Amino acid sequence: MIKAIIIDDERNSRDIIALMLAKYCPFVTIADMASDCADGIEKIRLHQPQLVFLDLEMPDGIGFDILTGTQAAIPFEAIFVTAFEKKFLHIIRFSEIELILKPIDKESLLQAVNAVSARISAGSSTKRYEVLMQNFNYNQATDWQMIVLDQEQAEHIISISDINYFEAVDEFTVFYMGDGQSINAAAGFRYYLELFAGLRFYQLNNSQMVQLAAVSRISSDGSKVILRNGATLEITERRKKDLILRLQ
Amino acid sequence: MLLVFCFTAPASLANNRTSLPDTLTIEASTAPIVADMRPYTTALEDVTGSMTISQVIHQSFSPNKEIYHANPRNNKRQNNCWLRFIIHNPGNNMASWLLFSGWHDFMYWYVQAPEDTPQLLMQTGLMLDRGGVERWNHYAFAAEVPAHSTRTYYLHIINKSFNESPLIPTLYNTSAFVKFQNTAEEGFRRDSVVILVLLGMLLVFFSISLINYIQLPDRSYLYFALYIVGLMLFFALRLESKPYQLSFFHRWPMLKYYWNIPALLFCFYLMYLLFGSTFLNLKSRYPFMARVFTWVAAAVGGLIIICIYCIAEEQYHLPTIIYGYVYFGTLLPLLIMFIALARRSQHHPLVRFFLLGSVCLYLACLGSFLIHVHPLGLVGALEELSAPTLLLIGGILLQAMFVLAGLSYRNKLVHMERTRTQEMLIKQLNKNKELQRKLNEQLEELVKEQTTEILRKKQELEEQRKIQLETEYVKKLTEIELKAIRAQINPHFIFNCLNSIQLFVMQRDFEYAQKYLSDFSYLIRKTLDFSRRNFISLADEITYLNTYLGLERMRFENRMEYEVVVDPGIATAELEIPAMLLQPYVENAVKHGMTNPKQATGKLSVRFRQVASDMLECIVEDNGIGISRSRALRTLPQHHQSSGMEISQNRADLLNKMYNTEIQIEIIDKFLKDDEDSGTLVIILIPQL
Repeated sequence: MIKAIIIDDERNSRDIIALMLAKYCPFVTIADMASDCADGIEKIRLHQPQLVFLDLEMPDGIGFDILTGTQAAIPFEAIFVTAFEKKFLHIIRFSEIELILKPIDKESLLQAVNAVSARISAGSSTKRYEVLMQNFNYNQATDWQMIVLDQEQAEHIISISDINYFEAVDEFTVFYMGDGQSINAAAGFRYYLELFAGLRFYQLNNSQMVQLAAVSRISSDGSKVILRNGATLEITERRKKDLILRLQ
Repeated sequence: MLLVFCFTAPASLANNRTSLPDTLTIEASTAPIVADMRPYTTALEDVTGSMTISQVIHQSFSPNKEIYHANPRNNKRQNNCWLRFIIHNPGNNMASWLLFSGWHDFMYWYVQAPEDTPQLLMQTGLMLDRGGVERWNHYAFAAEVPAHSTRTYYLHIINKSFNESPLIPTLYNTSAFVKFQNTAEEGFRRDSVVILVLLGMLLVFFSISLINYIQLPDRSYLYFALYIVGLMLFFALRLESKPYQLSFFHRWPMLKYYWNIPALLFCFYLMYLLFGSTFLNLKSRYPFMARVFTWVAAAVGGLIIICIYCIAEEQYHLPTIIYGYVYFGTLLPLLIMFIALARRSQHHPLVRFFLLGSVCLYLACLGSFLIHVHPLGLVGALEELSAPTLLLIGGILLQAMFVLAGLSYRNKLVHMERTRTQEMLIKQLNKNKELQRKLNEQLEELVKEQTTEILRKKQELEEQRKIQLETEYVKKLTEIELKAIRAQINPHFIFNCLNSIQLFVMQRDFEYAQKYLSDFSYLIRKTLDFSRRNFISLADEITYLNTYLGLERMRFENRMEYEVVVDPGIATAELEIPAMLLQPYVENAVKHGMTNPKQATGKLSVRFRQVASDMLECIVEDNGIGISRSRALRTLPQHHQSSGMEISQNRADLLNKMYNTEIQIEIIDKFLKDDEDSGTLVIILIPQL
């Protein structure tokens, strides 16, 4: 059984999470509910839950504030539940923390709860929350760190600024870092493509996305992109002009 | 008549001898008497030159015809001789005679009465007597013999210079001497006039060359002026030896010796060489000759010093010998030089002037020399080489004139050269000016081009900036517009509504879900509708707000109350307001109104009032914690802070710009006005057209 707490300022939201959990995830017991941050922190301290469903927008703060106050002492897992929160979407996803969008559908709830329960039963670290809190303090995505999960679900914390490029290898993704290391991520190329879309990264072809800051120059024949560490990547003719524009 | 007497008198007088054969016995007479004393004179040559009168009277005198000469003569030695005259007066009257024996350097006149010691009566001499013109009267020595007595006279003559003036002792009585004196004076006057004329001309030449030198500092003028000065001094000193003439330098009789041979060397060699060298520009035209000139000039300078030293040592003959060698030694080289220069005369017209002048002088000197050879002998004549004979004077004047003409010609050449240089300079200057003008033009053109280019670039830049600004403006406008439209209905609200509907469905509260869904559908439809229109009627806006607030109240479980109050006088169907103007403020009021811990229920009111005939006032009021405290409560880092206020202001500006109205929006935090109160008051003034 997993002891959980729901924190949301709308009763309707709290009710539906509770309702859906009861229906689809009977191994999650709702210990308590709270309607704002202060109340939430109090309840967490009181019940010491393993899982907290967190709304982002609350009258006296946002969901992250609750993590700041409690996470260090009580290593719970969190699932963010939000109607529409573009602002913090990247931060949450870079930290590999589960996020459910309202209205909640069964599949995403199940996926999130299953992932969390797997981590709880595996006794995984809660480093990803530290990454989240850190990223929250930085405005620029280049200052952010991200958690990359490999096929064994092991966590790799990397700085986004250290990434040279990443590419699709089969249905996985490999990150090539500035120091020469490479990390095999479990998620597919499409997932990361979407995640990095708003950042200063550029998709060179069907299977590679490069960090613009890592690009040194475009080879004289225009078919290759040469990185600062000397690596050479292919670029399609169609994207070359666009890349030059982005590089400026 | 006089001459006949002169020749006959001695013969007749000789017969009157009584005592000694060398005694002249002569009586005083009023008629002019001239007696040649040579037969009655005995002489003694003092070789050592140290004998005194007291010694001399005991020496034996002998008649020596060799020492007398009627013309100047070179003795080839110094002459130091004593002459003794014995005169007897047989008459009853005192006889006064004057003895004249020429002009010599030192002359001492002694008288001795019989059985008595000799007495010095008179001393004079060219080197001794420094008086003025009257000194010439001293050379006739008085010999007064009383009646019936005999007197012995001694005349001591010293001539240190080898050349000696005529020496013939002659006795005159006063009237005869006056006659003789007049004749001599006349002859010498002619000579001195010639010299004075020459001096005058030379002075003119000197002045001309000096003035020219001052005007045009050309060295050749200076050398010529020095040459002339040397000549002037030389001739002026020559007056010294012209008896009965006033000399300029009679106080310094030695000067005529010092400036005799050295003057010749100085003028005709040293200065002439220096002058020729500079006058002909030999240094650049004939460097070898210039070197020869310089060396010879230096040697001559040395010789001049040696000569002056010799004269100071009273060795008068040595300079003469030196000059002899120089003269004969240079005759041939001068000739060669003249020929060498003559061959160049075609190339250099100045050479002609120089040559003509030089040849004139050369010939004049030679002629003068030859004139003097006869009386003085070859070497003796040398010293008198430049004795101012008419020939020499003519030569010098001709030469000077040629040289002056040459100098003028040289001036002309210099002037021409200068003119040419000036012309060239002017030409060059003009050329430079032209060049400068061209350069200036080029530069101006360049500057013009560059200015045009700069202006063009500036304009381009300006245009680019304008375009950029415009693009940016359009972009910003679109962005704000998009933001404004998006702000019309918060997606958060939409999804939360859907979430609520989901809940009702799951709770199987279908009626509620139905109501919620239809209200939500109405709201979405109206939002889509209004976002396409600029203005909507106030009635529509009121319905919209009611629906929206109803949905919000459902979300917040009736934790909020709201009212929409419209002044009864307002024709809601006719009044128009910008679409979706109020919605964001109302939504904000809901959001903040629900967050007041002191107020269990959020109270929200929207009021419409007609404050003026053309002004609609809309007040959105809540009892939340107010904007400032709401901000303070948020712990979000600065960069995550929402910028709702700025958006509101932007929105008003945008709306005013878009619809050309003057909507005023005022947001008041009630807490800031009154501590007890709380909440936000938004006053929107909408002008009516």
